[in-house]
This record gives sequence, structure tokens and C-alpha cells, in this order.
Amino acid sequence: MNEQDLRKMVEQLVEQMISKEPSVVGSDVTISTTPAASTVKAASNETKTTTIDPNGCIPDITKIDIKKQFLVEHAKDKEGYLAMKAKTPARLGVGKAGARYKTITMLRVRADHAAAQDAVFNDVSEEFIKKNNFVFVKTLCKDKDEYLTRPDLGRRFGPEELEIIKKTCGNNPKVLLVVGDGLSSSAIEANVENAIPAIKQGLQMHGITVPDILFVKYARVGAMDAIGEVTGADVICMLVGERPGLVTAESMSAYIAYKPKHGLPEAKRTVISNIHKGGTTAVEAGAHAAELIKTMLDKKASGIDLK
Amino acid sequence: MREELLSVGIDIGTSTTQLIFSKLIIENMASSYTVPRIVIVDKEIIYRSPIYFTPLLSIKEIDGPKVKELIEKEYHSAGIDKSQINTGAVIITGETARKENAKEVLTTLSGFAGDFVVATAGPDLESIISGKGAGAHTYSKEHNTSVVNIDIGGGTSNLAVFKRGDVKDTGCLDIGGRLIKLDPSSRQISYIAPKIQELIEKYHLGIHRGDVVTKEKLMPIIQLMVKGLMQSVGLAPIDADFDKLITNKSIAREERPECISFSGGVADYVYYDVAERGPIKDSFQFGDIGILLGQAIRNSPLYTTMQVVKSTETIRATVVGAGTHTTEISGSTITYTKNTFPIKNLPILKLSLEDEEGGEAILREAVKRKLQWFKLDGDLQKVAIALQGKENPSFKEVQAYAKGLVEGMQELIQRELPLILIVEKDMAKVLGQTMYYELGYKKDVICLDSIKLDNGDYIDIGHPVAEGAVLPVVVKTLVFN
Amino acid sequence: MILKTQLFGHTYEFKSLKEVMAKANEEKSGDKLAGLAAESAEERVAAKVVLANVTLEDLRNNPAVPYEMDEVTRIIQDDVNEKIYNEFKHMTVAEFREWILDEKTTGADIRRASRGITSEIVAAVAKLMSNMDLIYGASKIRITAHCNTTIGEPGTLSSRLQPNHPTDDPDGIMASLLEGLTYGAGDALLGLNPVDDSTESVVRVLKRFEEIKQKFKIPTQTCVLAHVTTQMDAIRKGAPTDLIFQSIAGSEKGNEAFGFNAATIEEARQLVLSEGTAEGPNVMYFETGQGSELSSEAHHDTDQVTMEARCYGFAKRFQPFIVNTVVGFIGPEYLYDGRQVSRAGLEDHFMGKLTGISMGCDACYTNHMKADQNSIEDLSVLLTTAGCNYFMGIPHGDDVMLNYQTTGYHETAALREMFGLTAIKPFHEWLVKMGFVDERGRLTEKAGDASILF
Repeated sequence: MNEQDLRKMVEQLVEQMISKEPSVVGSDVTISTTPAASTVKAASNETKTTTIDPNGCIPDITKIDIKKQFLVEHAKDKEGYLAMKAKTPARLGVGKAGARYKTITMLRVRADHAAAQDAVFNDVSEEFIKKNNFVFVKTLCKDKDEYLTRPDLGRRFGPEELEIIKKTCGNNPKVLLVVGDGLSSSAIEANVENAIPAIKQGLQMHGITVPDILFVKYARVGAMDAIGEVTGADVICMLVGERPGLVTAESMSAYIAYKPKHGLPEAKRTVISNIHKGGTTAVEAGAHAAELIKTMLDKKASGIDLK
Repeated sequence: MREELLSVGIDIGTSTTQLIFSKLIIENMASSYTVPRIVIVDKEIIYRSPIYFTPLLSIKEIDGPKVKELIEKEYHSAGIDKSQINTGAVIITGETARKENAKEVLTTLSGFAGDFVVATAGPDLESIISGKGAGAHTYSKEHNTSVVNIDIGGGTSNLAVFKRGDVKDTGCLDIGGRLIKLDPSSRQISYIAPKIQELIEKYHLGIHRGDVVTKEKLMPIIQLMVKGLMQSVGLAPIDADFDKLITNKSIAREERPECISFSGGVADYVYYDVAERGPIKDSFQFGDIGILLGQAIRNSPLYTTMQVVKSTETIRATVVGAGTHTTEISGSTITYTKNTFPIKNLPILKLSLEDEEGGEAILREAVKRKLQWFKLDGDLQKVAIALQGKENPSFKEVQAYAKGLVEGMQELIQRELPLILIVEKDMAKVLGQTMYYELGYKKDVICLDSIKLDNGDYIDIGHPVAEGAVLPVVVKTLVFN
Repeated sequence: MILKTQLFGHTYEFKSLKEVMAKANEEKSGDKLAGLAAESAEERVAAKVVLANVTLEDLRNNPAVPYEMDEVTRIIQDDVNEKIYNEFKHMTVAEFREWILDEKTTGADIRRASRGITSEIVAAVAKLMSNMDLIYGASKIRITAHCNTTIGEPGTLSSRLQPNHPTDDPDGIMASLLEGLTYGAGDALLGLNPVDDSTESVVRVLKRFEEIKQKFKIPTQTCVLAHVTTQMDAIRKGAPTDLIFQSIAGSEKGNEAFGFNAATIEEARQLVLSEGTAEGPNVMYFETGQGSELSSEAHHDTDQVTMEARCYGFAKRFQPFIVNTVVGFIGPEYLYDGRQVSRAGLEDHFMGKLTGISMGCDACYTNHMKADQNSIEDLSVLLTTAGCNYFMGIPHGDDVMLNYQTTGYHETAALREMFGLTAIKPFHEWLVKMGFVDERGRLTEKAGDASILF
């Protein structure tokens, strides 16, 4: 290619860049099935080349509001359909390609599944733990894989870890707050910073303060029983990441129990699940948890015993 | 958890007065693994009074003592003591609301009928209540459609448009069955309402008080009333007569509802099918033009061109609506630091989105400034502050809200008035707690959510129910002409 | 009975038939968690070799849980037809495997044999089958059952419409339900997993289901999958239900953890027969899944395939309309990844049919498992080949209440089209009448437009 050709090509490229409009973001995004947008005829009349638009960007498909997305062709009552769709997070009104899914919804399910898997398989970052002044401890699990396949190990601690727990929480504390990664690191990072101050403030109303907060890596809910056993705490409230779904990977639960010990029946835990931005918000859940903790201290019971 | 609220509905209308008792069933719809979500799941009418003619002292005055006597009698025959009543509404409707002593009668009655029974009136609310009582909003929701319900009473026709279960619009026209009254046997006219009189004169229909009339003689004026109703739903072009017939406002005509339903006393004769049930014995048996009006509507395009829905209640729609559709339940995570309920007739100060979104200082100043509107002779009255709130606030945002509100409400604190917050979004528990914290736990706070309010609304807040988790709330608009 | 063999010159000796059964299993994380799995690939094969030479009689005489201590064992053993059993008892597992696969053995022959064998026999033969064996064997066996319609007829593939909603909002449930119907889902069942297990909530949803069923005259079954006792309460309060559901386990202790025993199930069955809305005679719906016994420590040191087979033996007593394994729901500690889920799905389906029950599969996975939509699409194709009675139908395969993924409305539709199958006949005719599918059962342009049903 001589200099002239090269210059011509660059000129064309520049021209293209300027004339290209950014794509529309929002619910109208569709995946183009024709290659018109990115493929152009090259300057040469013999070889076909593809130029890459350095400024182009395919819009983020996860920004599409699923509740407003509507892909049924020739629907009898689109407006009514959308009103109906608004009542559920289910992926309705998705249309079809033959008896299969349209590309955009198929890709969205894959994207949401990817977020869910990352929430499970990634760790809560060290900076996050440091920033919140959590005291780090780890269960007996050596890695994520063991954590997933050995729930028994996710409920127990080694002797050194138990020492840290004792030192942090003291003897017979009234209330302990514990954060455990559980099955979603994303849930922890998205919610605890708002839930914890709300719990603390709610407890303060009743003159209750809490010691430093433990962060438990590879934690199952039963880890709170081990902590209860070694500290003798009256009430433990453990915030733990829920197994993610596709609607959200950021859902957290608060498990609260009165004097938890090894072998505590599940029914004796009070649970607030579904804490995320689309469910019960972290701040409201925190305020509610504080009230529940106070009730448990007053009634010396939790879970079904509280009802 | 399942709890029942006993609710009373009393309707004092232009021509009739009625009462119903109903049970509102509330349940926690959430699983035991989430925060509670307590809602009204069912409504059951357990007692219906006979339909009485509204006792009047004169054309301008309701006979208060007579009404009270009547209600007392009905409580007795239903075997219900007022102390059992949890909620409900007394509503003065139609022309009666314009009587000179309407407000006074209402206040007496609401105190009498039960501790937490609200006095309420106003054509817009009346339209909504009767439309809901007629089942139009349920129908629109279940059938994914829009319905206009016309509640045709003695003096007014109340219009309410529901689309998929939501109230879209309301209107009221001075069209009713008792705007002309006559003696059932002699058929001599005893009363013609002023607006009807004007129409009669305008069109030289030659109908006067004292005349003995026939059906044929009255038909032209009845057709003018039917025309008014057709105009309201967009079936006929608007003219000067229509403007005259509007009580306060009519409904928007741009989007014609797909279905129509009728309630009120006249509705019985809109749904009356002569072919099926035989001829009507005497069109003047009630001493008014209700039957003629009902049948004229049946023969008009209102009935023949629109999709007609059979209402679940006709003459009782308003009282059923008042008894079963006026009570709402607050969100289930709320704050009240002291039980001082019921609180009645709380005016609403609704903050604008700009007030809320500008941060702590702007919120504070907005509250301070707007509180001045509620001063009566320079004295601040009790008031509830309503705001929209945020969908998913951070704790810092909640703190900013709390600080701005507490500082803005200083005057209420100084005057020792209650601090009452009503938020639309689900954040009342944390906001209430944060405000309480900001107040150093020295001043009580009431903060509830999931109730949508506007400026001009008044609310009553009842005794806590469902083990104290929620508060029943009645939103109303008190408008007396 | 011989519990010893050599493989490549190395001797493998097992202490008990129970150990052989466990170690003969294909690799499963749940068996490892329970400490029962083979320690090497060779040991696994050695166990299979030993098992191949065990007779059916030995298997019957060594139930996973002793007869005296477990009512599930008693039900399985007591329901054996001794005459048929005597015809088979001298066969080894290897011979029984080959008899099932033999071209001269018909589906009817196998259905007859079902009445003469125990769940341990069913499990043992499954352990000697490759994936294609499981498909080949199962494809011979058609099991039909009748509630309001008949499920399992040749040429049909059914779907349970599962319109779950995170808060049981009736309008939200209806939204998923209506759309599912337009894709041809729901011929097996309209069945909701409720969030709120209260009687009031169950009554409310059942009434809405019945309304829809009546309004559009849909020939199908309805059910709300609350606890069995809650559903009984709902029936007594007048709720219209066709089927009673319960999750079951393969031991009495496991069922106790679920809060019921055999008497409860029989009482429920009698109640729904006398006060339910269905024609019958098959009015029960059960769900199972490998690993559930271990999770409630009710496995009696038995491997999860054997315990699963025992669920089917227990279920058979109550003549269920449908049973399905919720195969990938339990998590990676029991089934590690897509491969293990697939194997378990094929095993469960085969074992259910060999037991003689109408078998479906919730081909699913959770997000903490190494599996994705491809894994279950594969499984659903394999199971359709095997003649599975039904799958789940959920909007886009995403359950917004249980937070897992299963087969969507589109999956059953595509499988029907690819395999030339239709919904259950009366339901198929309803679909044709409504215009959602053509005569051959393929989706039309109207499919997927719920607003047609508004």
C-alpha cells in the first residue's frame, strides 16, 4: 500500500468516525442482525477489509429494564401486556424465534447468570474488609471449591481463629454483628455498608452497643453457632450473601438467633431474606433487624419460639 | 396471621341514607423469612341496613338528630357496639353535602359512630368511593380494561374512570333522579332543582312547579340530562348546557373508556330490561323522575354503543364503598415511638421533589417555609409532612433526610405538636429511627410509609393493628362548599 | 454373595453390599460428602463388577434400612408381588440389566417386572447402566396416569407450568400463567410453589387457578405445592384442588424431617379423592432429588442413588399422577456440576419408570453449581429421547422465586417440534382451538402473546 492509498484510507476512517452516531441506549436496544453497522467496503476494489470503529460501543444490554422490554410481535394488547408484566420480575413478553428465544433475551440470561456465578466464585475484596474495619477470620475451608462441596467445614473454625473471635468479641457480649460472605460476595459489598449503621443506630435507641464486627470468609450460616459457642453472646446477627438468582446477584439475608450454639435447629433462627435494592432495602432491613434483636433480648428467644 | 377489622360505612345522600358493616381481613402476605407485608386481603359485608329517605329539616338543612337516631337504631339491630368499630367512613354525598349544617352533622356522627370513623365528603372522593363500591375498579383490573362508572343518585351523577384497577379521573354532574319531584298519585310537580329550571326555561319546555305532568311532557328535559351524560363520556359534542351541568369538574373526554357501568338508585332502572321483566308498573312510583331517567339512559347510546358492565352494587354502591374501600394499611416496617392514636383530620403538607432532592439544607428550608401555610391566625396547627422518599437510599441519604426534616420541623417541636411523617417509598422504619436519634430520643416520632398523598388531602390514622405492626389510614378530602 | 474381585491383578474386597452399592455409583459429590464414594476410578469399576454378580434376591434381602426400623422399607417390601419376584430373584444384576435391554423384552414385560422388585434392585441395575443404557431402557417403558387427563401416552410430551412469583402476587402469578398457556405449557399441571405456606394463601391461589381453568375451559390439573398438611387444610376450607403435592425422601427419618409420614400421605390422598376436584384415580404429586436424605442426615449411610430409588418405591404405594426429580436444585455438595446433574437426571428418570411411576424431570441448576443453561438443555433432549413424561415450564427458564434455572416454556415447545410430539390430547386440542399451535403441535404466530387471553 503506498502512502497515497494509506492517506485515503485514514481519511475515510476519520470521516466514518465523525459521521457515526452513537447507538441509542435504553429499552429499544436490539441486536442488529445485518452487518451494516460495523462492516464497510474497503477503499480497495479488490480485497474486502473490516475496519474497526475505535469510538463505537455496543450499548450495555444489562441496562435494559426487563420489566419494560417487550418483544412480542403483533401483540393483541401491548399496553395491557406491559401493565401485566409490571406485576412480576419474570421474563415475560420475550417473543420467540421459531420455538427458541430471541438473541437479546438469550444473551441477557447469560449475562445475568454470569453475574450470579461471579458473585459466588469471587471473594469479598480485602480493601472492602479493611475499609469497614472488619476483623477477618476464616472457617476450616481451604478454598472456594471446598467451601461449596463441604458445608460442614464452612460452619467451623480452627483454634487460632477461635482465639481471634474471643479476643474481638469478649465474654458474653449482649449482641454481636457478624458478616459472612456466604454464596454471594456481591451481596455483601452491595448491602452491609448501609445495613450495619442502621442496625447499630436502632440498637443504640435501647442503649445497646456492639463490639468490633467479624468478617467470616467461606461462611455458612452455622458459623454463627460456633461463634455463639465460644463467646456466649446473647444474640448474634449474621449478615450473609444469599445464593444468587438471575433477578439479582446482590441479595443478602440477616440470620438472627438467641444464644446460638452447635446443633441449633434452623427453626430457631429468625431470618430476614431478600435484602437488596429491589427487595427490602438494606437500611430498612437494618432498622427492622435492630428491633427484632431487641425483642429477642426481651423475650430470650428467637425463630419459632418468638411467635 | 389473620386479623379482622370491623368497618362501618354510612352514606347520607341527597335522597337516601344507608349503613353497612363489613369485615376487612388483614393478613401478613410475606413468608416468615422476610420482613412482614401486611395487607387487606378480603372484604366481607356482614350487615346492610334498609334504605331510608334522608331526614331533612328543610330543603337546606339535614335533620341531624333524626339521622343520629336512625344510625343508633341500625347499630342496635346489627348487634354492634361502637366500641367494636375499628374503622370506616361517614360520607355526606351529592346535594346533601351542600346543606348548611352538613359539616356539623358529619362531625357529630363520626364521633358517635365509632372512635375511628372519619367524616368525609367531596365530589371527587365520592366518585371514587361509589365506583369502587360498584365494583368498577375490580372489573377494570380483572379484565385489563378501562371502565367509567356513573353513580346516578338523587341530585348528582358521579363519574369515576378506572383503568386496570387504577383511578384515572373523576367528575361530577348535577344530574339525578330527584331533581324533579312530584306527587306519585296526582303527578303534580312539587320541586324542580334550580339548574333544571334554567334548562327548562332556555328550551321553553313549559314545565312548572305545580303542573300535573305526563311522561311525554317530561321526556325533553330527561333527554337533556341524558345528553349531559353522553357529553361527559365523549359520546356527544360539548355545548353550553354541559358546562352548566358540571358540579365541579367533568372527566377528560380524550380517551373514551372501553366499558361503562352504572350505580346509584337510578341504575336499577338502567339495568331494568322491560322485555325480560315485564313493563314497569308505575314510572312515578317514587315521586320523582328516576325511573324515566334510568330507562332513557338504557335506550341511549350510553347503553347501546358502549360495552356495559353490570355493577356489583347499585343503590348501595356508595355506602359499600365507604364501608369497604376507604381504609388503607400502612407499610409494615414503620416507626412510632408512642401510641397516641387515633389521630384525626391531619392536614397534609406534601413536599415537592425539588424540596427532597436538593439535600439537607434545602429540605430544611422547604419544611420551614411550607409550615407557615398551615398557620391559623399566626398559630401553627398540627400537620403531617408527606414526601416521596427514595427507592433504595443509602444510610447517609437517610441521615440527610432526617436532619433536614428535624431541623425544618423545629417550630412544631417548640409548639409541642406531634412529628408525623408519611413517606411513599418503603423507608419509614429507618427514617423514623434516625429522626428519633437526631432528636436525642426526647421527642416522639411517627413515621409511616406506603401511603401516597397530595397537598389538600387530610388523613386519619387509627389504632395500630396486627400486633402493632401497621396503622390503618384513611385518606380523605374534605371539601365543603 | 461374593464381595471380592480383582481388577488388573489388584484385589478389591468390600465389607458389605451397602458398600458395593455406594462405590458402584458414578462419581457424585454427595457420596463423597457422605464418605461413601469409591476412592479411585478402578475401585468404582471393581464395585460395579461385584454388583453385576449379585442376585436380585441378595438385594431384596439387604434393604438399605432395616425393615423393622423404617416404614419406607416396609412399604417397598410389602408391595412386592411374590410370584413375580420369584421369577426374577435368581437373576444377577448383570442378567437383569441385559433382560431389560433385550429386544425381546417389551415395555409391558418391564412394567410387570416392576411389581416384583424392590428399590434396591432398581438402584443396582441403574448403577450398571451407561447413560445411553439408561435412555434406551427407559424409552421402552411408558407409564400413564390419569387425573383429569392422561399423562404419558406415546407421542406426547408434557409440561408443568410453574408460574412462581417472589411475593405470591396473584396478578404476577396470572401473568406467567397466561403466557405459559400460549406456549403450550401446563398440560401436566398448573402448579405454583408458594412463598407463603399459609392455608389462606394456598386457598387464594387455588381459587384463581380454578377460575382460569373454568374461564378458558382448560383440560388440565391444578395444584399449589405447599406442605401436605397445609393443602389438606385448604381442601377442608373448600379450596378446589386436583392434586396433592409433597416432597418425599427415601427413609422414614427423611420424611419426618419433611414433617409427614405414610399415614399423612394416605390421609391426604383419601381427602383429595373424596373432596378434591379431579376425576382421578391418580391424585398425588411427589418431588424428589438425590441428596435430600443426606442433607437431613437421614441417609442411613446409604448412597444417594439408592435412597432416590427408595423415594420412588414409596411414591408408588400412593399411585401418583406425576413424580419428578428436581435434579439440580440441591447444590454442588451433592451434584457437583452439569455432568453429574445430567447423569443423575437420567438415572432418576430410568429408576422412576422401572419402579412403575409416571416420571418427569425438573432439569435444573442453581447458580453456585458449575452448570449453565446448556447443561439442562442437553439433559432435556436426552430425557425426551428416553420418553420422559414432562418437564417444567417457566418464563425463559428463570425462576424468580426459587432463584434457580430450569426449562422454559420455549424448551418444551422446541422439544415437541423436534421430536414430533404434542401436548396431552385434550390439551393439545384446546391449544389448536385457541390457535396457539397447529395440528402437529408446532407453535403458531400467536404463541407467546398472552394478551390474546385477556
